[in-house]
Amino acid sequence: MDELIEQIPCGFLSFADDGKIERVNARLLERLGYQRSEVEGKPFESIMNVGSRIFYQTHLFPLLAMQGRADEIFILLRASDGSDIGFLVNAVRHERNGHKVNDCALMRVEERRKFEDALVRAKKAAEAAQAELEIANRRYEEQAVELELQQEELEAARATAEEANKAKSKFLAVMSHELRTPLNAIGGYTQLIEMGVHGPVTDDQLKALDRISRGQKHLLRLINDVLNLSRIESGREEYRITEVPLREVVSAVLPMVEPQVAAKGITSRTVIDRPYVVRSDREKLEQIVLNLLTNATKFTPAGGGITVRVRQDVERERHICLDVEDTGIGISAEKQRDVFEPFVQVHADQKQEGSGLGLAISRELARGMDADLTVRSEPGKGSVFTVTLPVVSSP
Amino acid sequence: MALGDEVTDIIKRNNVHVVGNGSQPMLLAHGFGCDQNMWRFIVPAFEDDYRIVLFDYVGSGKSDLNDYDAEKYSTLGGYADDVLDVIHELDLHDVVFVGHSVSSMIGVLAAKREPDRFERLIMIGPSPRYINDPPYVGGFERSDIEGLLETMEKNYIGWANFLGPVVMQNSDRPELAAELTESFCSTDPVIARRFAEATFLADNRTDLAGLQVPSLILQCSDDLIAPRAVGDFVHGSLPQSTFQQMQATGHCPHLSHPDETIELMRAYLRSPVPA
Repeated sequence: MDELIEQIPCGFLSFADDGKIERVNARLLERLGYQRSEVEGKPFESIMNVGSRIFYQTHLFPLLAMQGRADEIFILLRASDGSDIGFLVNAVRHERNGHKVNDCALMRVEERRKFEDALVRAKKAAEAAQAELEIANRRYEEQAVELELQQEELEAARATAEEANKAKSKFLAVMSHELRTPLNAIGGYTQLIEMGVHGPVTDDQLKALDRISRGQKHLLRLINDVLNLSRIESGREEYRITEVPLREVVSAVLPMVEPQVAAKGITSRTVIDRPYVVRSDREKLEQIVLNLLTNATKFTPAGGGITVRVRQDVERERHICLDVEDTGIGISAEKQRDVFEPFVQVHADQKQEGSGLGLAISRELARGMDADLTVRSEPGKGSVFTVTLPVVSSP
Repeated sequence: MALGDEVTDIIKRNNVHVVGNGSQPMLLAHGFGCDQNMWRFIVPAFEDDYRIVLFDYVGSGKSDLNDYDAEKYSTLGGYADDVLDVIHELDLHDVVFVGHSVSSMIGVLAAKREPDRFERLIMIGPSPRYINDPPYVGGFERSDIEGLLETMEKNYIGWANFLGPVVMQNSDRPELAAELTESFCSTDPVIARRFAEATFLADNRTDLAGLQVPSLILQCSDDLIAPRAVGDFVHGSLPQSTFQQMQATGHCPHLSHPDETIELMRAYLRSPVPA
């Protein structure tokens, strides 16, 4: 019988409850490469891989102690050469020679283990892929939520900006009306005093009254500009678009600045190669051109020149350009961007009169009737302001 | 019956059983890999003198797997919550808490939170940290724990890893689920793995400080899971602890050497509660 146990084609090992190996068969010793004396009397755990030792203490032994048997438990035994070999253990617990013993049959499972390893790896890979997918999915969801939030924020910001803009326009309109009424009173009563309605006026008094009158007019102009701009910006400006011959516009406006041009000793000329007709609001176009000519006169020193030129737009077909070119002080590249912003006076240090709204109003008016207003300039050499207008005919 | 329903929730969740004729409660907490059945050789010795409370941690034995919460049970604190739940549910006071292995530390965590409920702790093979952290000797390297997880995986592979989840969902064949429970104490390989990680990768050394409840440390001989150096560390960290070296070898003296275990527990319980 002992001979049979030694030679059966599986390992056999018997250990007591103190963990010590009481019996081990030749087959198992051979598999693990130990001498009998190295194993018998030693704890079963001492020939296990460390992970399996924990498993033995937490799973295998409690199972045996509680149920009297354990079936198909996988453990790794450590061979004498340090390698770990997988075994399936079937164990029964019973009493022998007056104490409890645990008899174990151990089957090597190298081949099966390979399949199991592959299975575990495949399962882990699948789980990892699944986890990655879930993470990616979550990230997409988060991004979608974030985008939605950004969209909402943008909407809110735009609504706030629109609200603020409306409030500003309303404030400007109301304030301007409130200011204009007393200013008109100042102007009217100054005139009455000047006319001697309230008694004789001395020369010194007349000078003072003249200054009051000029100040009043300046303020009134400023307020009118503010009112105009706020009206245009709020989209309440009405345009009466007709066919406008540009030569007529130039002829109508140029004489208005002639006195100042002559007074400053500036030359002016007009270059119109063809009789262009554009679609525009004549009155507003004249206002724009007058504004440009007034500016050009202001910033051009004595001996300089102003040229009004009407030409075909080289960039856009069916568009005509009206240039107002001067030989003035010019505008630096960075300031050219600001020149159309309200209340910006590029040459504030020049102590030129004006509200700083002229160019802003001009461009708003131009854009309100399908035209545009742009600037090219070189400091020290001069500026060219260009109104671009849609053409009706170019004979 | 409202209270009854509530009791049933915790009782059912942790598969709580109460036996014995005594009045002072003795709460028996099993270790990792096992369930309340592991106390079967101990219970008869204390039945006459104590009200013995047995339970399974969620994920072990016949606990309710529906109550498993991966986040809660990722640390021992989640298990300590459940110990206190059981104590509140049964309104236990002056508890003698007996914890095997990882349950020793779970008991420490619970007793630190509500010291008034506990009279003393009996810790069988306690370890606050299993992984070496020089100069601290825990007994294991991290790679050893990986080896345990691999061995667990192999043992759960055949039926649990692949068939298990399918079988468990087959509610019309409950006998299959019951069979799985019989062969291993943890029915779900994923839960078992998480419990292993919460147990063996944890570091509860700092939790020992400030424990107000007196304790007994039962230190086995040749215990590879909780070696003598670890027992000494626990004893050194707990001023109110009593250290008892056992003849019993291994890590489960209540299974392998129940007589010695019972004798040492009795001797400690007979001694007056240390001040």
